[in-house]
Amino acid sequence: MICTQCGERSASVIVKKQQLGQVMELQLCHICAAENHSINIAFEQDPLAIHQLLSNWFPNSQATISRPKKEVAICPSCGFTFSHFLKLGKFGCASCYDTFSSQLNEIFKRFHNGNTEHTGKIPASYGSTLKIKKEIEKLRKQMQVSIQEEEFEEAARLRDEVKRLNVTLEGGSPDGS
Amino acid sequence: MAVERFLQPRASSWMANDGSNVDIAMSTRIRLARNLNDFKFPYAFTEDEALKVDKEISSVLLDKGSELDYTFSHINIDELAQLQKEVLVEKHLISPYLMNSYHPGSVLLSENEELSIMVNEEDHLRIQSLQSGFQLQKAYQIASELDTLLEKNLSYAFHEKYGYLTSCPTNVGTGMRASVMLHLPALTMSHQIQRIIPAISRLGMVVRGIYGEGSEALGNVYQISNQLTLGKSEYEILQDLENMTEQIIQQERKAREAILLNSPLMLEDRVYRSLGVLTHSRLLTTEEAATCLSDVRLGIDLKMIQNMNMSILNELMIFMQPAFLQQYADKPLQPKERDFARAKLFRERLNKIDMNSEGEDLA
Repeated sequence: MICTQCGERSASVIVKKQQLGQVMELQLCHICAAENHSINIAFEQDPLAIHQLLSNWFPNSQATISRPKKEVAICPSCGFTFSHFLKLGKFGCASCYDTFSSQLNEIFKRFHNGNTEHTGKIPASYGSTLKIKKEIEKLRKQMQVSIQEEEFEEAARLRDEVKRLNVTLEGGSPDGS
Repeated sequence: MAVERFLQPRASSWMANDGSNVDIAMSTRIRLARNLNDFKFPYAFTEDEALKVDKEISSVLLDKGSELDYTFSHINIDELAQLQKEVLVEKHLISPYLMNSYHPGSVLLSENEELSIMVNEEDHLRIQSLQSGFQLQKAYQIASELDTLLEKNLSYAFHEKYGYLTSCPTNVGTGMRASVMLHLPALTMSHQIQRIIPAISRLGMVVRGIYGEGSEALGNVYQISNQLTLGKSEYEILQDLENMTEQIIQQERKAREAILLNSPLMLEDRVYRSLGVLTHSRLLTTEEAATCLSDVRLGIDLKMIQNMNMSILNELMIFMQPAFLQQYADKPLQPKERDFARAKLFRERLNKIDMNSEGEDLA
């Protein structure tokens, strides 16, 4: 197909124009298309839909994922399957994130420059428990180091601290949250 | 009806011409995407659930908004006429997606139109905070305070590893999209923008023309926003965007100086021709109006045009759009009739002001 504007290059873009109530369709090459300022005021417009990108990235993932497991993960809360998620490019509910978690790192890495973990704001209601969990994680790592370096007194102190925090986590939180 | 006040051709506070670097950075927007834990997301929920979500969210805002000194108006999208919805889209108070949504949704608007909370858009909640000029921190602070108030009264879908859970995997984590609207005529004229855009996208940010895709943005207005929402804190995202925007602003200033130095007469001619078109035309297309607005704006920034109020130009950018013109005329208008109405609007708004000694008053 040849570009209807320059008549030289091959057309790669279809531009729909509304003029005097009639819809015109132009087949343009990428150069003429770039010069064509047909106005289209949209606040947030996706140049390429996410679901198209996803299915191009993971064309065969459904087959490779389901083969070893012999079953397709279905979200118990909303009924979305992983292939439905890929097709739509959207999650159906919060539980989808846990249901499809084994595949999500790969997807998030591609969308977020290799990142897979949130490091920003935490809702206050989650904040106190999450902070304690992160603290426990940190103390456990320190404890491993202390054991390796044979500083057993320090390791024991850290172990007690972890125990204390675990008790807090199981319901004895001082601020009641 | 609550919506009436928001349909008037009256400036929202974010169209005012204040804030830092306002000659180049026109406005700032923060959007936070949130969902409730106990309901399916909008791609999977039923109409009944959609109504419940709307009720839960709006009752919190209507009851507790005053804690943050806001009074909200609750507007059901279903109850609006098509033209009314389009006006809200043109004013950037709702998204085209919400306008065309097939399930029950609503918007809660603060009186000054700085805050707009869309319910049941792609996510249960889209908190949007708009500010005039380049004010990322302030816009975020306002959005975040409202977010904190909502979170105290609602149970958010939040994950220890993934952060705020959203319908789309591109929003997960902070759920935050921060953007600054930039007027970059000199970088566009000198074709430098084509080199800047791909460089920025390699750094996890994105630039696009607000009037749609294309190599040159119409009206020379571009939107720069963060692309990543995972792995960086809100603070880091805002810092990066702020640094990048500052660099672009500096580049634009340099390009303006260069043009002014090399071809002052050509530039002055262009600015005054555009002023002539805006103040004397009888037919004005959106495209021509946007281009001329950009030139006149530049003319004001470079002190070529004196005594012209920039905030009127900001308002005209919004009010010259098709739905606004029809709302203003109170009847449907064919494209040619809109061009006539648009020209009339510009003449009326701009000729009221004593622009310069030769300015002709048509009134």
